[in-house]
Amino acid sequence: MKNITVFLCTCFDEINRVVDYERLCSHLSDDPRVAAVTVSRGLCVSGGAGEIGASVKSGDGRVLIAACSPLARGDQVMRDLERAGVPAFRRHLVDLREGCAWIHGNNPAAATEKALDLLNMGLTALEYKEPSADVTLKIADEVLVIGAGPAGMAAATALARCGVDVRVLERGAQPGGMLGLVSRSYPDNTDPSEKIAAFRDLAASDPRITFHSKVKIISARGYAGNFTVRFTAEGEELQAHAGAVIIATGGRVFPPKGYYRYGEVREVVSQIELEARFRKGPVKKENAVFIQCVGARCEERPYCSTICCPASIKNAMRIMDENENARVWILHRDIMMPGTTLEAYYKKAMERGVRFIRYAESDPPRILGDEAVETVEVRDDITGDRRTIPADLVVLSTPLIAGTDAEAIGDLFGIQRDSYGFFREIYPLHPVETRIDGVYICGSARWPVSSEQAMVQGEAAAMKAAALVGRQTIRASEFSRVPGAKFGHARVNEDTCSGCGNCAAVCSFDAIRLQRRSGEGEFRMVSRVIKVRCKACGNCLSVCPNGSMQMPEMNTKALYGMVGKAFS
Amino acid sequence: MAVEVSNNHKQQKATERTPRILVFACKWCGLIGADGAGRKREPLPPNFRVIPVECVGSVEPDAVIRAFADGMDGVIVMGCHLGGCRFNDANHAAFKRLELLRALLEGVGIGRDRLLVTFGTAHEGHQFTDVLRNFTNLIAKKESLDTSWTSSRARMI
Ligand SMILES: Cc1cc2nc3c(=O)[nH]c(=O)nc-3n(C[C@H](O)[C@H](O)[C@H](O)COP(=O)(O)OP(=O)(O)OC[C@H]3O[C@@H](n4cnc5c(N)ncnc54)[C@H](O)[C@@H]3O)c2cc1C
Ligand code: SF4
Ligand code: SF4
Repeated sequence: MKNITVFLCTCFDEINRVVDYERLCSHLSDDPRVAAVTVSRGLCVSGGAGEIGASVKSGDGRVLIAACSPLARGDQVMRDLERAGVPAFRRHLVDLREGCAWIHGNNPAAATEKALDLLNMGLTALEYKEPSADVTLKIADEVLVIGAGPAGMAAATALARCGVDVRVLERGAQPGGMLGLVSRSYPDNTDPSEKIAAFRDLAASDPRITFHSKVKIISARGYAGNFTVRFTAEGEELQAHAGAVIIATGGRVFPPKGYYRYGEVREVVSQIELEARFRKGPVKKENAVFIQCVGARCEERPYCSTICCPASIKNAMRIMDENENARVWILHRDIMMPGTTLEAYYKKAMERGVRFIRYAESDPPRILGDEAVETVEVRDDITGDRRTIPADLVVLSTPLIAGTDAEAIGDLFGIQRDSYGFFREIYPLHPVETRIDGVYICGSARWPVSSEQAMVQGEAAAMKAAALVGRQTIRASEFSRVPGAKFGHARVNEDTCSGCGNCAAVCSFDAIRLQRRSGEGEFRMVSRVIKVRCKACGNCLSVCPNGSMQMPEMNTKALYGMVGKAFS
Repeated sequence: MAVEVSNNHKQQKATERTPRILVFACKWCGLIGADGAGRKREPLPPNFRVIPVECVGSVEPDAVIRAFADGMDGVIVMGCHLGGCRFNDANHAAFKRLELLRALLEGVGIGRDRLLVTFGTAHEGHQFTDVLRNFTNLIAKKESLDTSWTSSRARMI
């Protein structure tokens, strides 16, 4: 079919200085597929995309552009064409400048040969390219927030303020999360129950917030814009239809079992148990010893949990507040107090006389005493001195670890977890997004953070969700990680698909489902692509044993055609 | 060193012909490297053709085999650093697949080193240049593949 219009750009004689354009033109005009050839001096500056678009819009016209690399102006011309109504399958860009003229300037004859091959490859690709039919989706306007700790509360509050309906699902009886177990909150030493009460009031009074407690999630289905989540709340079975989901399920405290004779001798407690004691009443102690990095920054859990150093410093000062004669030691491996506020907090603790002793991981402190702790023996890693400290309380700082049902939640929504079980963001540059569009993560579910950081992240996730549900409809092709639209999505030929499931297994966006297809006299499994999720990486088609999976804009015919024409 | 070929099929001696090299370059790293080389106007041997792909995940092994069947002397697949893929871990999967393919290529006598799978950073024009030059030199030293023979061999896979 004579339907390809070719535009050759000389880039103000940059390209044709090396490549013989007359040969290209005569070759192209002899090609039965080429309708017209136009040589232009500067496609990117002449604003010609509109005209090109108009010239190929009718019928099945396709356009081949030979110009500079996509990273120079090529992609810009392609985007202009997209705007002018020429979709990806009807256009092809050939890079004759960076990819040919500029690197083969010393060999014009070979450069011209290469240019001819590149054009032939482009023509062949255009011959076979097909469109991935785009779909337009309606977006449900509610946002689902799972978990009502500081991150979830901040997300819900921010969304309600933006005028977005939000449904909060909390596993516990009350909002607050781990902050509800803390007696006072660093660095401002406020009572966290005020924050929690403020949220409870807001949830009760703001019609935009629906709060469910004692929630168990049963199932989750769908994709960005349309998630359906079934759950029970206080025993009652309910269903939510949400455009976006924010996961704020937090973490849990690593129990110090097996460390420092915890559970064997009295008055060796975990930090969270100390918080509980403070919540009950004053804790009067003479000699308190905090031990940091218990089960953290070790081989099994090499990460820093970031919240335990500030929590120990907070509680060390609290013990001094309650007994002015108390002596407090913090045995640490490094003190992690980043940022201006925490560093000031650390300084204040030193001024108040909290004693910091550094121990080595290879030579940890020892707890001495028969029934209750009596002394702690520690080797000061800086001076080398061995010291014996009297102690009537030892507090073990353990890290946050992934929540008990992180695995279940991850599986339900198809989001990835890191080696320690925390949810994984898209690294780098997308801190609250996951590999599933429309599912966002924040707070300690993502990585141990203070309540303040959890709130910041909750608000960030809220803004991402608001941007999505703020729209009425969205096209599948808009779910792209890159500026502009993604170029297509995978398509399966259900007639030939054998249902082997290779593609579903390899897809790292969870975009393929095996579904039953029953036609006349047949009953079999075939794979289906969820277009919204597909990111067009092409992994599925590489594992499809019989070519049933295709990327229409670069299908096998187009790809093999290009390979065949590479040296023609 | 020449490829070990286990049978007596007709082979051409190393010829004067410069080897034909096909490069599958992903848009996010490989192609950016190629573009960088172009912008610096690095003189490169004109014996290679680049096919841009969205992700090396979409380089089906069949396409590589087809390239050998169609007379390519060497194929390079260039993706982003493992761990730096825009499509989660799509390049991991591609890497495993293409490693398997290399073993197959060895098995049928095409030779595993005629397929180079590299993962590099974007914005490094010199990396593209080095990879291409070294690979061209490596392939040029080899006996050239006899296409009638390779195609039947490649199609065996
Ligand atoms: C001992 C200790 C002291 C601390 N002291 C301070 C402090 O002084 N200042 C400070 O800023 N931070 C402090 N922190 C840290 C702070 O508690 C956490 O950073 C913060 O609570 C994290 O908030 P989050 O919302 O991400 O998670 P969380 O607070 O853990 O909240 C998660 C919520 O999700 C719910 N949930 C979990 N799974 C599900 C599910 N499947 N379905 C429904 N709901 C679910 C949970 O019930 C919980 O309510 C301390 C932490 C510890 C351990
Ligand atoms: S914050 Fe926790 S894990 Fe990090 S150094 Fe301090 S005690 Fe260790
Ligand atoms: S192209 Fe990639 S993202 Fe799309 S369905 Fe296939 S494997 Fe999944």
